[in-house]
Amino acid sequence: MMILLKNVNKRLGNFALKDINLRIKKNEYFVILGPTGTGKTVILEIIAGMYPLDSGAVFINGADVTRQYPEDRHVGFVYQDYMLFPHLNVRENIIFGLKARRVSAAEINIKLERMVGMLNISHLLNRVPATLSGGEQQRVAIARALITEPELLLLDEPLSALDPRTKDIFQQELRRLHEKIKTTTIHITHDFNEALALADCIAVMRSGEIVQKGTPEEIFQRPKSEFVAEFVGTENVFQGDIKMQNGQCIVDIGGICIQVVSDLAGHVGMALRPEGVVLSPEPIQSSARNVVAGKIRHVRRQGPFYKIVLAADANPQLEFVSSVTQQSFESMGLGEGVPIYACFKATAVHVFPIHSEKNQ
Amino acid sequence: MLEKNDKLADADSKKSFRGSFRQSQIKNMSFNVVFTLTIVLFLTFVLAAIGGILVKGVPGLASSLASEEILFSIRLSFITSVISTVLCLTFALPIAYGMERFNIPGRKLFNALLDVPLALPPIVSGVALLLLFGTTEFGRMLASHGFKFVFTVKGIIVAQFFVNIPYMIRVLKSTIADINPRLEFVARTMGCSQLQVFLRVTLPLAKNGLVAGIVITWARALGEFGGALMLAGATRMKTETLPISLFLNMSTGDLPEAMAAATILIVCSVISLFIFELLGGKQTELSRMN
Repeated sequence: MMILLKNVNKRLGNFALKDINLRIKKNEYFVILGPTGTGKTVILEIIAGMYPLDSGAVFINGADVTRQYPEDRHVGFVYQDYMLFPHLNVRENIIFGLKARRVSAAEINIKLERMVGMLNISHLLNRVPATLSGGEQQRVAIARALITEPELLLLDEPLSALDPRTKDIFQQELRRLHEKIKTTTIHITHDFNEALALADCIAVMRSGEIVQKGTPEEIFQRPKSEFVAEFVGTENVFQGDIKMQNGQCIVDIGGICIQVVSDLAGHVGMALRPEGVVLSPEPIQSSARNVVAGKIRHVRRQGPFYKIVLAADANPQLEFVSSVTQQSFESMGLGEGVPIYACFKATAVHVFPIHSEKNQ
Repeated sequence: MLEKNDKLADADSKKSFRGSFRQSQIKNMSFNVVFTLTIVLFLTFVLAAIGGILVKGVPGLASSLASEEILFSIRLSFITSVISTVLCLTFALPIAYGMERFNIPGRKLFNALLDVPLALPPIVSGVALLLLFGTTEFGRMLASHGFKFVFTVKGIIVAQFFVNIPYMIRVLKSTIADINPRLEFVARTMGCSQLQVFLRVTLPLAKNGLVAGIVITWARALGEFGGALMLAGATRMKTETLPISLFLNMSTGDLPEAMAAATILIVCSVISLFIFELLGGKQTELSRMN
C-alpha cells in the first residue's frame, strides 16, 4: 500500500472534508473526480502537508506522515496554474528542488538533461515562465516536480487550463510518462473523459466526501448514485419501485415498465448509457429487450455522433437519450417529430439503490 | 399611405434620437471639462508652492552648502535616516510576514495596534517616547546601559523608527500578500525549509516592494520633525537634522539657510517618490503576471 488516508477530517472556512478514506496502490494512476469546489485540491494539499489535520492520519509507504513537514514527504506537486517561480528562468525552476536538497552540480546536469529530454523542453531552458505558453509551463512544472524523483506525484487539474488540442496531446503524454517512470500519481479533474483515459482507479467526490471508488469501468457502468450517474454522463437516469412479475424484475418508472436484472428491492434508481439504447423504426420482437415507443423531441450533434432525445408516447415527460452515428442517422431518416422505438437490453440497465439523498 | 406614415415616424424618431445624442454630448463634455480643470488647478497650486521655495532656495544653495551648519545637518540627517530605515526593515520584515502568513489568533486586533503610531500625530509620538524614556524605570535602566535617548542623536533615530515603521510594515504586508502562498508551498514540497523558502522565493519576489518600502521609509525619516523635536530636542549642531535646521533658521530669520535645507528636502522627497512609484507599478505588474 502506497498512500493511505484514514478518516481525514479538515475544516477550512465554511468548507469541510468529511471522513476521507483512500488507499492508493504503488505505481497506480489514481484520479480524483468531482465538480469544482468539492475539496479535491485540499486533499492533495493535505497529502503534501500544507495544512494540519483536524483528525485522521496520512500514510505514505507505510510511514505515518501526518505530522511531517512538507519538505520531508518527498512528493512532487503540480498546481493547476503551474506555480512556476516567476523570478527564475526555466532551468533554475526545474533544478530548484535539487539545489534545495544540495545535489552536486554534476548530478544536477545529468538529471536535468534526462528530464528536459523526456518532456521535450530543452529549447526552453533560458526562457522565463512569463513568456511560455500554457502547455510549455505545464511541462516545466512537471519536470520540476519529477526531477527530485518523488515517491508520489500530485497533479491538480493539470489539463484544465490547456486548449483542447494541447490537452489531447498532453493527456497522451501523461499516460506515456506514467508508463515509463511509474511514479504513483494522484490526478485531480472534473472531466470524466480525462479520468477514463488515464485512470487505473477513480474516486468520485462530492462536497467534501468521497461517494464512490472503483475502476473507470465500474464507475462508468455501475454508478452507485444518481449524482455519479449524471456526473459521468449517463443521460438516462430514472427512478421507480422494483417488483417481480412472472419471474422477471420490473421497474415502473411512471407509465412505463422497464425490465431489469437486479437483486434490489423497493425504490431504486436506474442508469442507462445512451450507447446502450438502440433506435429502430419497427418494434423489435425479443423477450430480452425493453421497447419504448416515442417521438423524437430533439436532435443534438456531438462530434461524429448524434444525440437523439425521444419522448415516450406512454408518458411524454419521460425522455430517453440515444446516441447514433451520422450514417444511421441519415439512413433511418431521423429528425424531430419522427416516431421511433427505443430498444435496450435488461442487462444494459444499471440499477442502484436510492438512499434518501440530500439536495436532490 | 401607410408607407408614408411609417417614413414620417421613422424620421421623427431619428430626430429625437439625434436630439438626445446632442444632450448627452454636452453632458459628457462638461463632465470632462470640470474634472480636468480641477486637476489642472490643483497641480498649479502644488507647483506654485514648491516653486516658491525652489526659486528662493536654489540660488543660495551653493553658498549654504559651504556653511558648516548645513553640512552638519545634512550629515546628521543622512546618518540617522539610514540607521532608522535599517532598523525599520529589520523589525518590519518579520512582523509583516508573520501578520500575513501565520494564523495568529486576534490578528485583526494586532493589525490595528500596529497602525496606532500611524494614526498619532508625530509630535504626540514624540511626547509618548519622551515620557517612556525620560520618566520611567525602563528608560533609566536603558540610559544606565548607554542607551540614552532623551535629547540625543540616538533619540532622533528612535523617533524616526517609531513614527515610520508602520509605513514599512504596510508596504511589506501588501507586498507579501501579493505573493501566492502556493508558490511558497510548492518550494517546500521540493525540499525547502521555511527559512529556505523565505530566502529563495519570498524575498526575491518581494524585491520591488522591499526597495519601495526602504525608499519611502528613508524619505519620511529624512523629513521627520515632530517626534524628533520632542524626544531629541532642537539643539544647534547637536540634534540639528535638516528639518530641525529649517525650523531653527526660520525662527531666527536666517532665510537663505532655511531655504537651502528646504530645497534639499524637496529634492530628496521627489526623487524617492519617483522611485517608489516606479517600483510600485512594477510590483503590481509582476503580481498580475502570476
